[in-house]
Amino acid sequence: MKVPFSYLDRQFALSAPGEDATLTDNIFDDLKKFVASGDFTLGKSLVEFEKKFAKHEGTKHALGVNSGTDALFLSLKGLGIAPGDEVITCAETFIATAGSIAQTGATPVFVDANDEFTIDVEKIEAAITPKTKAIMPVWYTGNAPELDRVLDIAKAKNLKVIEDSCCAIDGEYKGKKAGSIGDAGGFSFHPLKNLNVWSDGGMITTNSDELAAQITLLRNHGFKNRDEVEVFGYNSRLDTFQAVVALRMIGDVAAVTDRRIAAARRYDQSFADMEGFIEVPKRSTHIRHVFHLYMLRVKNRDALLSHLQKNGVEAKIHYPIPLPYQKACAHLGYKKGDFPKTERDCDSIITLPAHAHLTEEEISYTIETVRGFYSK
Amino acid sequence: MRKVPYVDLVRQHAPLKKDILAAVEHVLDRGDFILGEDVEKFETRLADYCGTKYAVGLNSGTDALFLVMKVYGIGEGDEVITAPNSFLASASTIVAVGATPVFADVRDDLNIDPDEIKKKITSKTKAIMPVHLAGRPADMEPICELAKAHNLKIIEDAAQAIGAEYHGVKTGALGDAGCFSLHPLKTLNGCGDGGAVTTNDEALRDTLLQYRNIGLKSRNESELWGFNSRLDSIQAAILNVKFDQLEKWTERRIANAARYRERLGSTVRCPETANGTRSVYHTFVILTERRDALKIFLEKNGVGSSIHYPIPIHLQKAAKRFGGKAGDFPVTETNAGQMLSLPVHQDLNDEDIDYVADKVKEFFAN
Repeated sequence: MKVPFSYLDRQFALSAPGEDATLTDNIFDDLKKFVASGDFTLGKSLVEFEKKFAKHEGTKHALGVNSGTDALFLSLKGLGIAPGDEVITCAETFIATAGSIAQTGATPVFVDANDEFTIDVEKIEAAITPKTKAIMPVWYTGNAPELDRVLDIAKAKNLKVIEDSCCAIDGEYKGKKAGSIGDAGGFSFHPLKNLNVWSDGGMITTNSDELAAQITLLRNHGFKNRDEVEVFGYNSRLDTFQAVVALRMIGDVAAVTDRRIAAARRYDQSFADMEGFIEVPKRSTHIRHVFHLYMLRVKNRDALLSHLQKNGVEAKIHYPIPLPYQKACAHLGYKKGDFPKTERDCDSIITLPAHAHLTEEEISYTIETVRGFYSK
Repeated sequence: MRKVPYVDLVRQHAPLKKDILAAVEHVLDRGDFILGEDVEKFETRLADYCGTKYAVGLNSGTDALFLVMKVYGIGEGDEVITAPNSFLASASTIVAVGATPVFADVRDDLNIDPDEIKKKITSKTKAIMPVHLAGRPADMEPICELAKAHNLKIIEDAAQAIGAEYHGVKTGALGDAGCFSLHPLKTLNGCGDGGAVTTNDEALRDTLLQYRNIGLKSRNESELWGFNSRLDSIQAAILNVKFDQLEKWTERRIANAARYRERLGSTVRCPETANGTRSVYHTFVILTERRDALKIFLEKNGVGSSIHYPIPIHLQKAAKRFGGKAGDFPVTETNAGQMLSLPVHQDLNDEDIDYVADKVKEFFAN
């Protein structure tokens, strides 16, 4: 049996109950009108998608940008982060989290992860210096960081909070949606995300009118109107084309998430008795973890990975090298031993397919294949 | 009343719709949405067309300028010389890398004046960014000589000039790097943002490939801090469909321009194509002191026109801190009050052009 990590072909072939038209058919119907309309840049469909997205995440504003990376970068710029500043983030994340900080000229300052792949809030205060301007907690894997604590620290030290929610559309922390808790939230619609368009794409959410106005300028060259330039900006717009695609998907996001959570529950339960071989991270009832990535810490990881791949289960590693030890970070002066939990994770994590389009049989097969490896 | 819109993306896309959707479907079938087959195909095609060794697809023309300067190490304390009458992105990308835009006034042909460039070169100057405004190549020979003498990079802002030529060499192949925009309003246009860099510089190309992809050398290794600026596979697929039409469209624009010149040459100042060059007429800019009244008159008669651009960059609020003031660039400033772009796109027919020309003549007859 093959258990694919990517679900794109299945997603596109899907029909709504009682309908013949697939998701792809419906999107192509919309695209036909879109291509004929010529409304390609900051168009009507983009505005509609932004409204729906803001409603979905419970924020006042949502602004489409070119990518999740740019969502974080422009949020930082809009909040005034500049060269000489420091921004605290988690050592265990995708490169773009720290990349967006570096892009502003500020310095990323890493804090180790906890056992649930999010920033260890107890270590944040020790990382704060007079140069610190913001904290960027990451909803890594789709799990929420302890945001109450992050907000408390930020308030006491007068820091901005930018949620890296790139993995976490539909995620919740104490009843509040991802991207609605800090000063700004950055989302990604990259083809591998839970809400996925057909290219790069991103979104910034915020409740601040002032920040929204600033980002509206920054994403479109700083234009106040066609001829007048208020500030020097960038070119980072979510293509209206991709908003047309996303509009066909946003209504299903909650259902897609529920299916991912159901797959994760099955895995959790099936591996609960494998202590010593598999460590299932603690799950918190106050968090809606959306399982963009279903990650476990396992013994003998590399051998398990090849065993799974050999048996058709497309498992992955996100990621094998701790971010602070990448060559790009060499100038920051971190050394091995600085981030023990992140290092441990990089050597022991594995990501199992847990998407919304897996069958019960495929999940069972994945479970059996994992268990089979350890019962040898 | 006849309608001659300044831009008509609806008319442009009606005959292309089927092929565009088929190309999008191919991307979907392959699922290679990010840096897929169509991006590579487009890059090869663009490099061949421009006569460079390499082309790299990026998210926008703005990012093309920005990333080239990043790769060349241009930043804080450096100066880059460019034209003050361009689209904002020429200067804003210089600001974005942390450098200072230094403006040099233009000639009557709206392109940067090499003699003015010469006056602006200092020990801090790192590059010259000539803009091939309106699709007309800048006077590159003296610019290249200056760059050579002062060891400066030449970054061509060719956003409006795909297909233009200067003494037989295409724009994009005239400097160290050529920066193109594939925005919907360009002659070779995606259905969303897009851009590209053309170059013969292998090191530039290699670093651009990393920069556009978050600095990643492989899936798991990053060697430098990068950006996310990839040409979408879907836009590349659409551009590959349109590439087949590019020469035809360009010839049509050139013919439209010639027709205007023939009919309006004795009425108003029309753009000329300089000897030894190919001007591709991204815009057809006439100059008249009665510009604002003419624009209103044309509008009343169903003719769309546009101004590229009414406020010179050095006079924008955003540029205040660089200390530019009215009077600094007399040619640019005079032109800003006199320029009017007439519709010249490839989907206009002879009757459209004649109608516009007649209306312009009618205006000046009164």
